[in-house]
Amino acid sequence: MNKQKLLGAAFISPALIAVIVFFLVPVILTVVFSFTNMSTSTGILGGEYQLTQSDLDDLSGAGVSDEAITLLQGAGYAMTDESLTAFETEFGKTRADELAQKFPDATFDSRRDMERALKELRTDPLRSTRERKAAAELFRQSILGQRYETKDDFANAVSALNISAADTQPLTEVAYTGWTFTTQNFELLWQLPATWRYAINTVIYVSLTLVFNVTLGLFLALSTFFLPDRIAQTFRTIWFLPRILPPVLYVMMWQWMTWDQGFISSLLAPLGVDRIDWMRHSAVHGWTVLVLINGFVGASLGMILFSSSLRAIPQTQFYAAQVDGAGRWQQIRYVILPQMRWPILFITSYQTLSLLTSFEYILLSTDGGPGRQTEVWALAAYHTALSNYGGNLEYGLGAAYALALVIIGIILSAIYLRFFNFRELVAKPRIEQ
Amino acid sequence: MKTLTCKLALITALAAGPAFAEDITINVWAGGSNDADSYRLDNISIAADLLEREAAIRGEELNITVEGKRDFDGWDGFKQAVTLSAEAGNAPQIVVTSHLDIAPWASAGYIVPVEDYVDLDAWPLSNVYSNLMEIAQYDDMQWGVPQDAESRPFFFWKETFLKLGHTEEDIAAMPARVRAGEYTLRDMLADATKAVEMGLVEEGYGFYPRVSNGPDYAQFYQSFGGELIDPETGKLLFDRTAMTEMYQFFVDAVDAKVLRKNHIGTDWDQWYSEVATGKAAFWHGGTWHYGRYTGKEGNEDFFGSIGFTLIPAGNDAGRANTITHPLVYLITNQEDDRVEEIAAQLVSIASEPRLNTLHAIQSSHLAIGKAESGVDLYSNNRWAAEATEVLLPYANAQPNHPSYGAFSEAMFKGLEAAWTGVQTPEQAVAEVEAQLSVTLGDDLIIR
Repeated sequence: MNKQKLLGAAFISPALIAVIVFFLVPVILTVVFSFTNMSTSTGILGGEYQLTQSDLDDLSGAGVSDEAITLLQGAGYAMTDESLTAFETEFGKTRADELAQKFPDATFDSRRDMERALKELRTDPLRSTRERKAAAELFRQSILGQRYETKDDFANAVSALNISAADTQPLTEVAYTGWTFTTQNFELLWQLPATWRYAINTVIYVSLTLVFNVTLGLFLALSTFFLPDRIAQTFRTIWFLPRILPPVLYVMMWQWMTWDQGFISSLLAPLGVDRIDWMRHSAVHGWTVLVLINGFVGASLGMILFSSSLRAIPQTQFYAAQVDGAGRWQQIRYVILPQMRWPILFITSYQTLSLLTSFEYILLSTDGGPGRQTEVWALAAYHTALSNYGGNLEYGLGAAYALALVIIGIILSAIYLRFFNFRELVAKPRIEQ
Repeated sequence: MKTLTCKLALITALAAGPAFAEDITINVWAGGSNDADSYRLDNISIAADLLEREAAIRGEELNITVEGKRDFDGWDGFKQAVTLSAEAGNAPQIVVTSHLDIAPWASAGYIVPVEDYVDLDAWPLSNVYSNLMEIAQYDDMQWGVPQDAESRPFFFWKETFLKLGHTEEDIAAMPARVRAGEYTLRDMLADATKAVEMGLVEEGYGFYPRVSNGPDYAQFYQSFGGELIDPETGKLLFDRTAMTEMYQFFVDAVDAKVLRKNHIGTDWDQWYSEVATGKAAFWHGGTWHYGRYTGKEGNEDFFGSIGFTLIPAGNDAGRANTITHPLVYLITNQEDDRVEEIAAQLVSIASEPRLNTLHAIQSSHLAIGKAESGVDLYSNNRWAAEATEVLLPYANAQPNHPSYGAFSEAMFKGLEAAWTGVQTPEQAVAEVEAQLSVTLGDDLIIR
């Protein structure tokens, strides 16, 4: 490799690293996560091995023999010869003898009962809680509730209970607390009726907002283009406000405007219109407000971009058109629009992709309401993976939602490029060939 | 953030040759806590002081540094912070959170059972109500210790109730009548309709429920005969009839114009100020609302203006009930078992009646143990005393089950769909049932 190429690689490497860290890695992780059953319960970094009382019910289904289940269910704590010997070594003969005499061959269901028995020692009592806990452990027979860090530790504990090797494998599978690979997330998405509703909602949301903000952006750019400079600047600044306001504030203003004691209701009340929540009264209200909230933000970006590309059109073309007798409308139709193809393509595809994945304004305003009518795909992914009052966040399922979005996004980009004939747009002008 | 470092000078006369000085840092993170809940953290600091003194008397030098944090971005932010820090291996030693987190966090290995380190039969844990201790159990193990108790009562505005034709005696008899199932949700609906028709309250203000999902809605499911868990198998229970009737009740309330169709999502501040000033005839909330109504909302005559009962039964199959949703102290998994042990001991000491009373009264919560009624601060507080008597003995909790969160979300989404008129109650129930049977599979029993 020559010096030039090396230098080139060096120049691009920061950007490359940024792309890998902030784009590629998250996408790859999303793909991996979406094929797992990862949730709060399974943890993220891997699991350990633990059988619990509630696992016992699932064991026969998992192919574990009844014999093994009985062995597992066996007494939690027991006065066996072995455990008494171990106790004698640690805590002395006097105590061991007294215990054996007071509770001959006894078994205890729980550690608490075992500790209660240990409290009965009178000659030389075990005074500290810590000692009693340690002593109780010596009598433990059951492995239920015990956590083992490795598979081998678990297998050893199972074989110590005289459970056959054939049962160990299915037992280990049930006992594993971490996540495993699975395709069930996609099966779930396919089967759940709600998924289809979210998909339709997303289509409604993206297409309506897109039409609104591209049209409005174009309209604003064109209308300010023919205005004197100073006035045009003022107008553009005003229209730019929604974008520079923090989303939380911007949406709060919408809340104040639309709730049933708010601005719109107060304005219409004297005209005999019922006070309603203009944001959440029905799905139509919800969608209208959402399209407006997002549309105004999107339109301001379109306006700025369209305005600057309008200025790039040589004035001479307008003069020529005027000489040919073209009116305002004809100038727009035959001079401006054909040259606006590239910015319109850019804004349309950029907005489609960002609308597909953006949900912050919906989260802040309707949060998917009323009655999940405005819950879009990206918001559903958020709710599934990151928001659950009941505690168990389903990372795997949430990632499956997100992956679907990534795929749709890539397909749509490809379609856009083809539709707007991207190759031709970036081709070198003939004059330079 | 508060830091309390107590370094006790060793009294050499008592210390027969101190072995070594032990320095331990305990971080406490409390979710869903505001200024009134400061004792969730402060009590751990006080406990640390006591534990250090005990150690000093034994001749050991124990230095515990307690660092507390309770400013999180809502429950979601708090839970993410805890789980991610646990994954990264630097979880706070003690967390104060909903008991519903026990099941997922225990199976993920984020927390360790408190029973590994403390004697449950000894003071002060022996004093904690056994039904509350059970709420912090999962899979036959005691994972945490209840930090507070609360309950979610049904409220009514006394003045409106009197104008409906009821008497002062009726008001006094309400808790008992509701408990006995003589005054049901249907009676309430009739009263609320009348209140709207008579113009005592505005349309949509006859019944003014909670504005977001929460344990409260499970109460209405129970009012119509639903049970959340099957005690035999430990599986979640979906009762089709109870669910349909519960959804239908809310739809009927909307049809009768006593409940707003778009009530869900109403601003909380607006909601508090309206119920505290008598704009609504009937509503439901939590015992801690007392602090808000009488404090920020300025209701100076709580007992004169507001009556409270259990959530009434909805039909013959159901029962009057209330759900308690205590927060719990949990000990997280640490490299060093000694740190877990100290953390568990601090939690145990913080459950002393006198310490817990500080929290209970300051934050309008209820006692976790019997002995608190013997503490003057507690017994002299009318709200604590009355709410304990009317509500706590009849309170049950939501089950600690890893899938309960999914169950509760689905139940609420279905309710929202029916309530806002998007689906009929039957359609909504069918969709929730379809969704839950797919997502929960064997964990769910459908009746």
